[in-house]
Amino acid sequence: MNHETLRRLTLLNQLSLTDAQKEDIIAFFARQEQGLAALNVVDTESVERMVHVMPILTVVREDVAAQPFTREALQSGAPDAGEGYWRVPRVVE
Amino acid sequence: MRYETVIGLEVHVELATESKIFCSCSAKFGAGPNEHVCPACCGMPGMLPVVNKRVVDLGMTAGMMLNCHINRTTTFDKKSYYYPDLPCAYQTTQWFAPVAVNGCVEIETSKGKKKVRIKQIHMEEDAGKLVHDIMPDTTHVDFNRTSVPLIEIVSQPDLSGAEEVIAYLERLHALLRFAKVSDCRWEQGSMRCDVNLSVRPEGSSELGVRTEMKNMNSLTAIARAIEYETARHIDALENGTEVLVQETRRWDDVKGKSYAMRNKETAGDYRYFPDPNVMPVVIDDAWYAAIEASLPELPEEKRARYISELGLSEYDAAQLTQSRALCDCFEDAVSVCGKAKDAANWINSEVMNILNARKMNFDMLHIDGKSLGALILLVADGKVGRANGKKVLAAMFDDTTIDPAVYAEENGLIVSHDTGMIDAVIKEAISSDPKAVADYKSGKEKAIMALFGKCMKQLKGNCDPQVLHTMLIDAIKATE
Repeated sequence: MNHETLRRLTLLNQLSLTDAQKEDIIAFFARQEQGLAALNVVDTESVERMVHVMPILTVVREDVAAQPFTREALQSGAPDAGEGYWRVPRVVE
Repeated sequence: MRYETVIGLEVHVELATESKIFCSCSAKFGAGPNEHVCPACCGMPGMLPVVNKRVVDLGMTAGMMLNCHINRTTTFDKKSYYYPDLPCAYQTTQWFAPVAVNGCVEIETSKGKKKVRIKQIHMEEDAGKLVHDIMPDTTHVDFNRTSVPLIEIVSQPDLSGAEEVIAYLERLHALLRFAKVSDCRWEQGSMRCDVNLSVRPEGSSELGVRTEMKNMNSLTAIARAIEYETARHIDALENGTEVLVQETRRWDDVKGKSYAMRNKETAGDYRYFPDPNVMPVVIDDAWYAAIEASLPELPEEKRARYISELGLSEYDAAQLTQSRALCDCFEDAVSVCGKAKDAANWINSEVMNILNARKMNFDMLHIDGKSLGALILLVADGKVGRANGKKVLAAMFDDTTIDPAVYAEENGLIVSHDTGMIDAVIKEAISSDPKAVADYKSGKEKAIMALFGKCMKQLKGNCDPQVLHTMLIDAIKATE
């Protein structure tokens, strides 16, 4: 982690950080990187990639369409909705 | 200096499923806003996605059609994506173990045949739709399209210009529609592509600065965009008109120009990580074999077989193999009537006429091919005249459950063998048009056609034309 990486991450995540917060984050990641460097000493060449933490595979369902919820029920807790849509502050690229 | 264009494509294809990829909401296009939504595709906390098996079936089918290796253990990953059209703030996609890898597609252009390598095919969810023009300071969000299943087909940068790109896209379009992976409708966005393009000195092995044009959904626009972007890159390299940067650009087809949208993200920006909520999918031998057995004959294989085994002309075979729906209809018809040439004629003329008149594309052909075969037999056996056969066919487009024989019987379209009735109609025609009779007798053979037409009209087409013709000549000769 360096200032440039952090700048890109804050931009992507739309975060506003103070200079002190930025320094804290960089220092935090520096400590994590030291830990990771220690782990990297271990030879894992022959270890198969773990694809999932649970021993459960192939949970699939048949392709059958259903409509268990109404739009009104789903939008009942929305901060703002109307004309059938959820409404959010204007976003334009 | 001479330059060459290097192009790789990312093609998104919406899969032909009934329901979404991770929930049972309908995946159909065209509903009112947020009518196909549930807590899972709305990204509400605590909801767990469950993979639609059909999506994996179609992902494998696409992979096999494009000569890919199928990963027997395929996994889903989260791609960080912060925008209101994906309510989870990530897209569930495949990064570490996509369903299919390392394939190839053969294309043909004016320069000959060429193989385009496929890097991978991954399954993922589509994003929702944002509407910006209902209220001034508000964006309206429709989640109907959120989680509609897609595959993304990523090619290697093996394409070198608009002609090859169009040939590649047309080939994908044909193969995927033949395998019923997708309807591939550009106009509805069910097929769209991102064009990654760079330019380098001819013969160089190093790639130039790459730009990406996203969400292109028209072949004409894609060709124009490639021409424009190639010229822009060369101009920048030759004349220093601008500094090329890796970025995502938007193509404005009206203005015929591309515009910078944003700096191109790299994989690191997306922070992919395995999705703990979606279990790995293991494709066992039985599943793999079932999909392999379901693969269709390729269009060119069908074309060759129609010519060599069924005796069709090159033209008829090429017409039929434009669409899987036409082929299915043709093969079903032949299985009933056993008359390949007749079936090809009926489809390539009468069926096409109706499709055109009703502004339907080939894939909208919904009549039962076996019923068409039965109709062809009725006409071939002289039980229904050709003109009335067309009426039966039109009725079959309106109601696919129609039995042609029953419909013809109920609507008086069966050819009459009642010679007494035919004789009466002929006598009436002769007495009403003595000039035509006289003309025929004086050697004007064409004059008989007026009488023939009158009789056929009176008989409502329900008469064997050959029988009528012979009886008419005999009757004229018998007049004084």
